[in-house]
Amino acid sequence: MFVPSRELHHDNTPKCTTSVSHVQHPELNVTNPPGSTNKPKQNGFRKICSTGEPSPCPIPGLGSGVLEMRVKEGSKIRNLLGFALSRLQADGHESATSHVLFSGMGRAMTKTITCAEIMKRKVQGLHQVSKLQYKTVTELWESLESGQSVQMTIHRTVPSICILLSKEPLNPLEPGYQPPVEKVALSKEENEGDGSQESGNPEKRLYSPYSHEVLPSIKRAALGQDSFPTKKKVKKL
Amino acid sequence: MAEPCSPVSATVPHNPISIPTPEGSTLEMDPMEYTLRKRLPRKLPKRRNDVYINMKTDFKAQLARCQKLLDAHREICIHGLGLAINRAINIALQLQTSSQGALQLSANTSTVELIDDLDPEDPDEAGEPLTRTRNNSAIHIKVFYPS
Repeated sequence: MFVPSRELHHDNTPKCTTSVSHVQHPELNVTNPPGSTNKPKQNGFRKICSTGEPSPCPIPGLGSGVLEMRVKEGSKIRNLLGFALSRLQADGHESATSHVLFSGMGRAMTKTITCAEIMKRKVQGLHQVSKLQYKTVTELWESLESGQSVQMTIHRTVPSICILLSKEPLNPLEPGYQPPVEKVALSKEENEGDGSQESGNPEKRLYSPYSHEVLPSIKRAALGQDSFPTKKKVKKL
Repeated sequence: MAEPCSPVSATVPHNPISIPTPEGSTLEMDPMEYTLRKRLPRKLPKRRNDVYINMKTDFKAQLARCQKLLDAHREICIHGLGLAINRAINIALQLQTSSQGALQLSANTSTVELIDDLDPEDPDEAGEPLTRTRNNSAIHIKVFYPS
């Protein structure tokens, strides 16, 4: 029987259950480990469609006026953010929204987080709730080999992340809540133009105008001289 | 203590290299070859129940380590940076699944500034060592038994 390979186990599909719906050739099930790749395989199986189960929104108490951004692996961050920012900042306009939900699964999770992080930097004072969950994806594979159409359905569980960003306060007791970042030193515009100031390391020239203030703390951390408070999170990252 | 450098080292190709600055303009660099050396990310405070997930250690080993720490401390914090975000989320969700839903997850995201060093290939050409800053996303997942 099909045993998920090591790589598969490490990747997005920790569990892969297979059910063959209309199999004319039962031996195909053995020779073709389903779900091991999503490209057409040499034995002729190709993915026809994959439908994500419409899972309920993991964040409770969410109204209907939420802009949902589904982040995919190939999505361009500038397109996603351009659209979301225009809707979020359209004050008074009818298309304006105060909640944006970024969701992504599998390999798009990193991009989803990056989108939310950039968004928080561009729009100050956003409240955030992040949720993790497994999503079940149903894939339909078909093989036209030997003239007959063989179909099989594959259920895969893929990790996914949902990040809600809101201009309005959210429930701080909700697991995964993050309050808006207060005015920390992330206002990079203020640091522009003082690139002539030297950091603690004169022989290093820094190209990014805002990087010089970071360097000493990194050095200190590297030398183990920084005494961090033993809090769970470091506020300024 | 030696300056932490990741063993990754690559040659930055050909000249001139233009680095996009945050303002959108580009800086032209001297036509010289540099070695790009990525510094290790800044270390966050580490308690006994903090786990930093990487992509080098075996997945199963990291999952087992998390499970062991969780049994001992009842609450752990899993951190993942960049590519390891996926794995961190996967580990947290697997822990939750294997506990039959007894565990709760609380995820937070953040941005980490990383520093790259650009060292000139040829020491005779008297090029200055440069540094470059970039951002990467990170996730911090608290896995705990709700009281």
